[in-house]
Amino acid sequence: MLVLAFDTATDVATSALLEDAEVLGERASVAKTLLEDVDALLRQASARPADIEALVVGTGPGSFTSTRIGLAVARGLALALDVAGAGVSTLDALAAGAEGALPVIDARRREVFVPGAGAVAPEDLDVAGRLCVGDGALRYRDVLEAKGAAIPPDDDIRHLPRASLHARLVTAYGRVDEIEPIYARAPDARRWRG
Amino acid sequence: MSTLILGIETSCDETAAAVVEADGVVQSSVVSSQADLHARYGGVVPEIASRRHLELVAPVVRAALEDAGVALDDVDRVGVTQGPGLVGALLVGLSAAKAIAWARGLPLVPVDHLRGHVATLYLAPDPLDPPFTCLLASGGHTLLLSVREREGYEVLGSTLDDAAGEAFDKGARLLGLGYPGGAEIDRLARDGDPEAYSFPVARVAGLDLSFSGLKTALLHAVRGLTETDLAARRADLAASYQRAIVRALAGRLRAAVERTGHETVAVVGGVAANSELRAALPDARFAPLELCTDNAAMIASAARFARAVEPPGYLALDAYPSAPL
Repeated sequence: MLVLAFDTATDVATSALLEDAEVLGERASVAKTLLEDVDALLRQASARPADIEALVVGTGPGSFTSTRIGLAVARGLALALDVAGAGVSTLDALAAGAEGALPVIDARRREVFVPGAGAVAPEDLDVAGRLCVGDGALRYRDVLEAKGAAIPPDDDIRHLPRASLHARLVTAYGRVDEIEPIYARAPDARRWRG
Repeated sequence: MSTLILGIETSCDETAAAVVEADGVVQSSVVSSQADLHARYGGVVPEIASRRHLELVAPVVRAALEDAGVALDDVDRVGVTQGPGLVGALLVGLSAAKAIAWARGLPLVPVDHLRGHVATLYLAPDPLDPPFTCLLASGGHTLLLSVREREGYEVLGSTLDDAAGEAFDKGARLLGLGYPGGAEIDRLARDGDPEAYSFPVARVAGLDLSFSGLKTALLHAVRGLTETDLAARRADLAASYQRAIVRALAGRLRAAVERTGHETVAVVGGVAANSELRAALPDARFAPLELCTDNAAMIASAARFARAVEPPGYLALDAYPSAPL
């Protein structure tokens, strides 16, 4: 089964094309150019969009706008290709790529997303002796290391929520329209002043 | 079957999709308004709007195809609003549209939302031929335009502060009315005396407009009133406030006609639904009521006159928040 997976929740948008468990290709760029990566992945594999049989999409948490770009792309692809899909948490994917590690995603406003806690200040994390990965771990390296965390070098691949990891975590596919983003934070109720 | 365009619009608080033929016949137009969702805040909350667009975009596109009795196989190109608007909201529609077009190998037409409003006038059954002088008045924009061709227009003047629709919304808030304010003021004004209060309309050079002083004048008028007095004078205040906005718009439009020499006059955008404005300009061509507020039929219509981008040329396309100068 040809599976297209992608995650746009963080600053680095990842994508992967898989034939069952075999990764045919992987790319990384930014959310707004995700479809360029997808197009390139298919060309490399000599596949056409219509060959895609299932979608896997990262559901965050991360940047609201950026997470939504991935989900809107997934909804558009599912509508056009009539394929099923699955949502996988960006935190779960990060954890799957670094055994035993605590995934930490930058939540802006001096907070981070970690599993089961919503947005918290990095200073409040209990990370002594733990391996921390993700863009939140990188941004707050100083704070977390001071609390006893171990953080791989900046260019370590374990900091990326690689879309091939999402694909491996899928247990069942369903309707893409029902895949919900994980916002993990209420919207700012400020009116738009145009 | 003639060429079919699927239009998608998510620039503010309406999630909309439509199917329009190349000759301008609207086969379907689905608009899912979020006004109820934003009413408690008295205006559009961007993050709430964006979240709702994501929930609605696919169902609304499906509904538009279904209403038109067509399948995606029948669609020849996809038109989508690229800007101006709320970026987070725009990106939902733009991302979905790019994905749909790419998956089907279709060209994509990025559409300017303001050109979309004007392109409402080019829809069947009675498409308007340029040249004409056009007032575009909505919640986000107020522009006077010289339209010589369907592919574009020249901006003659615009608001220096609040848009006309925004002036209605802010006025409605001051009067304790609901959101969106234009319809509320319009309704209440029918029971009021439009000459009860004399609200000043700012004199601005050229063909520009200004509504912030008007809003302040209403604020001062309301401030001096007790709750009981306000209840008694609310209709008069609404009628007088509306009269001032309509006078400003109609006056500027007449001045614009003198400048352009295009005797044909048209009004588009949400404020075009205002009954007093329609009455004040009996010879003007108004957008049909159901197409005054944001919709996707106007976007698909504009896509008939804008450049189509072949795949993969549009895959990195981004939204833009402000009107290009």
